[in-house]
Amino acid sequence: MPRSLLQPTLALLVRLTLVMALSLPLRAMAQDLAPPEGEVLLTVSGEITQTNVGATAQFDRRLLESMQPVTIATTTIWTDGVQQFTGIPLIRLMRAVGASGHRLKATAINDYAVDIPSSDWVENGPIVAYLRNGAPMSVRDKGPLWIVYPYDTNPAYQGEVIYARSIWQLDRIIVE
Amino acid sequence: MIPTTEPEARMPWGRTSAVVLVLVLCIALVGGLAWIVLRELDALSRANSDNLQWSLAQADVEFLHFRLELEQARHDPSRLDQVRRRFDIFFSRMATLEKGEVFRTLRADPAYDLPRSHVREFLDQAVPLIDSPDARLAAALPQLAQTAERISEDVRNLSLEGLAAFAQISDSRRTGLIRTLLIIAAVLAGLMAGLVLLSVSFFRLARLSQTRARDLQRTAGRLRTIVETSLDAIVVTDAHGTIREFNPAAQRIFGYSREEARGQNAIDLLFPATMAESLRGGQLRFLDRARAPQAHEKLLEITAVDRLGRQFPAELSIDRAEADSGRLFVAYLRDISRRKAAEEGLTIARDRALAGERAKAEFLAVMSHEMRTPLNGLLGSMQLLRDHHLTEPQSDLLDRMQSSGRLLLGLVNDVLDLAKFEAGKMRPETQPFSLPRLLDGVIETAAPMAEQNRNRLGWRWIGAPSDTVIGDARRLRQVLLNLVGNAVKFTRDGEIEIETEWLKDGRTVEFRVIDDGIGIAEADLERIFQDFETLDSSYARQAGGTGLGLGIARRLAEMLGGEIGAESEPGEGSLFWLRLPLEPTAPPARSLPRQQATRALPAPLDLLLVEDNEINRFVAREMLLADGHRVTEASDGSAGVDWAEKHHFDAILMDISMPVLDGPRATRRIRAGSGPSAQAPIIAVTAHALPEEIARFQDAGMTHYISKPLDREELREVLASATTKEPPASFTSPAKPRQVTLLDTDQIATLWAGLGLEASQHLYHSFLTETDEIVASLADAPPDQPELEIIVHKCAGSCGTFGMVALRRALNRIEMTLKRGQPVPSADLAALADLWARSRQALEAWRHAA
Repeated sequence: MPRSLLQPTLALLVRLTLVMALSLPLRAMAQDLAPPEGEVLLTVSGEITQTNVGATAQFDRRLLESMQPVTIATTTIWTDGVQQFTGIPLIRLMRAVGASGHRLKATAINDYAVDIPSSDWVENGPIVAYLRNGAPMSVRDKGPLWIVYPYDTNPAYQGEVIYARSIWQLDRIIVE
Repeated sequence: MIPTTEPEARMPWGRTSAVVLVLVLCIALVGGLAWIVLRELDALSRANSDNLQWSLAQADVEFLHFRLELEQARHDPSRLDQVRRRFDIFFSRMATLEKGEVFRTLRADPAYDLPRSHVREFLDQAVPLIDSPDARLAAALPQLAQTAERISEDVRNLSLEGLAAFAQISDSRRTGLIRTLLIIAAVLAGLMAGLVLLSVSFFRLARLSQTRARDLQRTAGRLRTIVETSLDAIVVTDAHGTIREFNPAAQRIFGYSREEARGQNAIDLLFPATMAESLRGGQLRFLDRARAPQAHEKLLEITAVDRLGRQFPAELSIDRAEADSGRLFVAYLRDISRRKAAEEGLTIARDRALAGERAKAEFLAVMSHEMRTPLNGLLGSMQLLRDHHLTEPQSDLLDRMQSSGRLLLGLVNDVLDLAKFEAGKMRPETQPFSLPRLLDGVIETAAPMAEQNRNRLGWRWIGAPSDTVIGDARRLRQVLLNLVGNAVKFTRDGEIEIETEWLKDGRTVEFRVIDDGIGIAEADLERIFQDFETLDSSYARQAGGTGLGLGIARRLAEMLGGEIGAESEPGEGSLFWLRLPLEPTAPPARSLPRQQATRALPAPLDLLLVEDNEINRFVAREMLLADGHRVTEASDGSAGVDWAEKHHFDAILMDISMPVLDGPRATRRIRAGSGPSAQAPIIAVTAHALPEEIARFQDAGMTHYISKPLDREELREVLASATTKEPPASFTSPAKPRQVTLLDTDQIATLWAGLGLEASQHLYHSFLTETDEIVASLADAPPDQPELEIIVHKCAGSCGTFGMVALRRALNRIEMTLKRGQPVPSADLAALADLWARSRQALEAWRHAA
């Protein structure tokens, strides 16, 4: 389908331009991260400048909630019907930690791991969801964190690579 | 290439449209299939499958992790949380397998669904245990492990079945895709074939049009060559007459370049400005009306003008042609000034040649005429010499001089005749004359010469004789005299006879002049009638002559509508024949008996002689003086008129051609004046006595004529006739058969003899009374009176009966004029009275004598 071929290319170009234009100011804008107080849901390590626990940036639920979460509505191939996902856009998370790598390695509780290139860190791109249909997600329910792409609004996100990157039961990110 | 047949030309188009139709269908089909494929691709690109195999295998792995953790936790209670986590992971996996979109199809498969329900059952049972406190969970671990072991088979089946089902699904999807692709390939192949076919068609069309274009180009090239090499100017204009094309010949002829000429109006540019308007309204008016020229308008001669203003005649051929850009006129124009000049040159040359011929003939005529004058002088002088006393030798010499002079005159007359023929001035006359009398005259004339050669000479009728005929007596006499003269010349001691015979048609008389002389060789018979032919014989040389005699005779015969020819036997004699159309007619008035002409010397007369030529004047004067007349001389017409004005003459002899005032004009003046000689008889003296000229003399008021050279006898006769009150109404010369008698005495004598005395007396008186009345009434009758014709006719009849020839003729003339519907000149009517008076007088005189 032409739409499915042309649009991603255009979108990609637009995003690349945006990333390049915004990368410098973003780093300057980053605030110091507060140390986590509750259960740590996510640990970011690797090529980052903002840390709160040692060389890592650790996030608990409260910290995540303070980072202007967004909500997207989309269907997924793993669930039944339209789902509401609430979380922090990946790009914002990466800015928050001052990520300077070109990709990140995301690993799940079950040790599933996947690489997400920096080209995916875009506005209207994937989010690190911590609520599904307004409720926290348990491990049985693919929680506590799930990287969700807006599959429905962007056909480019309807490929197997993207599905593979949609990691659930996420708990670690290493920026490389 | 010009298409020979229509279908052939159409075929490619028919095929092409069919191919196009097929192609459109193929494209539609391909479009449809492409849509299907794209949908398929879309489905594929959505990749609803995720990493299915991995997910299914992972369920197995995660279940094993869970069981392993269960086993380890039985020995190490600190690992209970690990058990819980592994359970949760497996639980999450199963939730995915149960609820995930991609596994929906699997769930309909019982082989998959049965083990799944078993696993679900286990999970549901395990959840309360897993969620219970550590102590309780620890206690339940062996049971959990046992149950887990029991369903491990189901988990395994679940993943295996899932794998099998997905393999099947992807197989069938691949098959479907392959089929679709095959169909597309087939359609594409069709499309390709169609395209190839279309290409072939287009290729053929392209070649066809290429060939046509080449042909057109070649034709155009040929046409251009024709136009460019044409010697004629070719000018093409549009419907408005604006020049579109102007070929090299046109540029050469008119001096304008093509660029200059184009866009200009053809009529304004190529024709003189003064003619442009008349051309537009005339010869070239079809141009302005933009209609096709009609057949007669297509070719015309016209005056054209070139750049330098030279006007020249041109031949123009023009027609209209239809072109894409509208109607055109194509004109071919040829400069024909050279041809015109040549034509003019030819005409001039021809005119000059003709004029030269005429001048020669005229010169000949003038020369012979001029020769006659001194010759007449000589002959006249010789005649006068006889009045003196001569010794015998002198008289002999005079005889010879006279005969030589006559011979010379004959030759000159021959040449003059010939010249007249050449000049085309001879016209036959038609007058009634007596044939026997003419033949008598011929014999009489030729008799002295015949006697010299000791020949007997005579004429006779063969068959029925006749008397009066209508024809040209003078020319007939001339021809016969020539033939007889020849016969006499070439015969010695022989006999010459003229046989006269009416041919069977009753309109032709054949005269045969037969001699028994030396004859003519067969070979010479043809050429003797040619001009200037004399036969080389001693006699011929001896006889002399111009050799024109027979040539003239032939011409005369032809002019009179007859034929002439000869037959001969050398040594035996010759026969010359002449066939002439003559019209027999009733014997007309008979002129006075011949013997009356040889009259005694008339009484001395007082005469006026008007003659410019001194010799002629001298001769005439001497002749007249010798006869005892008194002669007054005038050297031109004007002097003659002066004399006539102041003196009464008995008669005037008037020459025709004179300087200052010629004879006829002088006569008119005399007649118009009131001098003592205004009514005197005037005798025309002329060398050229053509009938129409005689009529002219008569019109002028001349009463008689006498031809030059003057003959003493003839002169006496004419003078006698003129002075004894013989009819002046008709123009007479007594020596000529044209003389019209006042009274035919033979006729009246016959009438008298037939009627008896008493009857004739009665008739005589009534005729006189009646005619008196009629003539009186006619004299002042209006010329358009309706019954005039009847009266005239009746009167003419009675006059004929009483032998009044002149009066009858005058009346007949009037009648003819009336019949033709022309007005009768009142002078003619008025003249009747005088004629009647004289005729009556003559009749009374005859009666008295009788």
